[in-house]
Amino acid sequence: MKIVVERVEVWYNSVQALKNISFRVGEGEVTFVIGPNGAGKSTLLKTIASIVKPRVGAIYIDGKTISMYNSRDLGKIISYVDPQISRSIPSTVLEFLITARYPYQPLLSFKISRQDLDVIEKISKQLNIEHLLNRRLDQLSNGEFQRIIIARALIQNPKVLLLDEPSAFLDLRYKLEILDYIKKITQQNRIVSIVAIHDLYLASLYADKVIVLENGEIIAIGTPDEVFNRELLEKVYKVKIAITNLNRRKIIIPIEPLEKIGSTL
Amino acid sequence: MATPLYRRKVEHFLISIYLLSLIIIITFVISISIGPAMFDPVKVFNAIFFGYPVETNVKVIILLRLSRAFAALLSGASLALAGLLMQTITRNPLADPYIFGLSSTALTAVAIGIILTPSLMVYRQYLIVVAFLGAITGYILTLSLSKLGGGSSFTMVLAGIAIASLFSGISHILLYVVQQVIKTPYVYFLMGSASTVLQKDIPFLVIPTIVLTIIAIALFKPLNSYLYGDEYAKQLGFNPTLIRDLSAFISAFLTAITIAFVGIIGFIGLAAPHIARFLAGSDHRFSIPITVLVGALLTLIADVIVKLISIYSGAVGELPLGVVTAVIGAPFLAYLIIKRVRE
Repeated sequence: MKIVVERVEVWYNSVQALKNISFRVGEGEVTFVIGPNGAGKSTLLKTIASIVKPRVGAIYIDGKTISMYNSRDLGKIISYVDPQISRSIPSTVLEFLITARYPYQPLLSFKISRQDLDVIEKISKQLNIEHLLNRRLDQLSNGEFQRIIIARALIQNPKVLLLDEPSAFLDLRYKLEILDYIKKITQQNRIVSIVAIHDLYLASLYADKVIVLENGEIIAIGTPDEVFNRELLEKVYKVKIAITNLNRRKIIIPIEPLEKIGSTL
Repeated sequence: MATPLYRRKVEHFLISIYLLSLIIIITFVISISIGPAMFDPVKVFNAIFFGYPVETNVKVIILLRLSRAFAALLSGASLALAGLLMQTITRNPLADPYIFGLSSTALTAVAIGIILTPSLMVYRQYLIVVAFLGAITGYILTLSLSKLGGGSSFTMVLAGIAIASLFSGISHILLYVVQQVIKTPYVYFLMGSASTVLQKDIPFLVIPTIVLTIIAIALFKPLNSYLYGDEYAKQLGFNPTLIRDLSAFISAFLTAITIAFVGIIGFIGLAAPHIARFLAGSDHRFSIPITVLVGALLTLIADVIVKLISIYSGAVGELPLGVVTAVIGAPFLAYLIIKRVRE
């Protein structure tokens, strides 16, 4: 499984959200996409998930463009963790998780197979959400809900896993647990994972590759060591930072309050 | 954990289907048995389900009452399914053909249709098409108005109330004008009544209700995915616009058939899906059949209440059906709004 993004441009009406994006990622790799708010991280994930259509360029999965796949087959290949799941009509966690198996079932089949339930059971156990299965989605805490939407994406058993801010609302322990798990199954199942995240430290801990986006453009791509340098991050985030090394990991710390560096924010 | 939980859900569904069917049969028999002439329910049951012979005059009355009971059952089922689909496609638990104004715009279209072509009153099946165009117009008007107001679930309800009030007023005036043509008190149209439905009309209620219910159940996977968002449905390979348009079409058609034959019955489309979700959850595979049964049962019970009030009050004529559903349904709407605000 390999993803090649080639000269992709995305427009929302007259606003250009992604400009000339090209990169490739291979199986077993966790790629982190970082950048300030509005840089185009979510749009990039949605474009790969085929939710947003690029105006120019193409995305290839194993040599075939996304548009060559039928939309139901794409559901077996790509799973996108959408942070904006609607919870206005009450439904239970189990009802929500079952929908993740739809790409594997014939459209009109009313039965849920033993295997489908086994996958749900296995992943609920691994992500420690078994006790939440009978709860209503709209009554979960933000942290619980975050784990549910990640579990759902994994239940879809994708070859390409796209996660938008998977560590949001999670405490320190769950952040590490979730990202550990994503890293492990990316390597074990030889899938491709692309994670949009704000937390630079988590990116430096788990990324095989980091893509830095600014105003819809890739301004750097490489390993965390290559990408996390002071000049680049100060330019992208417009803050003064210091980078120190701890256990061969890079720790990025803002060092001055914004008013002292004449922020334009 | 997932497997036993799922099994329990299926069991709940089956038990609900069984119990609802049983209660519907009992209510159905009671509904046929009561009227100005009271019959023994056991005798009626045996006559209907096992074809036991009865006196000719009793048979004639039973046949007349059957049409009315079927009309109540089928219009309730249609409105309930229309309500469920509207709640799903707007992702708004307060949606219903009555609250969103579809019923009033459909009735206005019917009134205009009767004014232009009075013979439509005899061939009511053609009224379905007219009512359908009216219902679709109401749906588009309410959604457009609510979008102007920000598109939240409350602006949808407020927009619906505005559209419903406006067109209920207009249809009121128009029906008053054509009262001579429709030959029944126009209030029956405005507040619904199953008593004016004839035996020849029943197939036009039965066939669309059954066919559209089957289509809706077949769509359970796209509908379930749609509940969680357009983008969510898309990533599972479903087309959210197609799901929305198809469901709006089905809702409007189901509303149209009830308007054409029975008139406006409020709140069934709101209450039945909530009761169904309480019994069997929000998975459309289970909630659609339960909603249809609950809607049918509620409307049949309302019709029985209408009959009882008329018998025991000794008043001339009957109350419209919609009056009873409003008395039960409006407090339910108030409860849902309060619950939602609190949450």
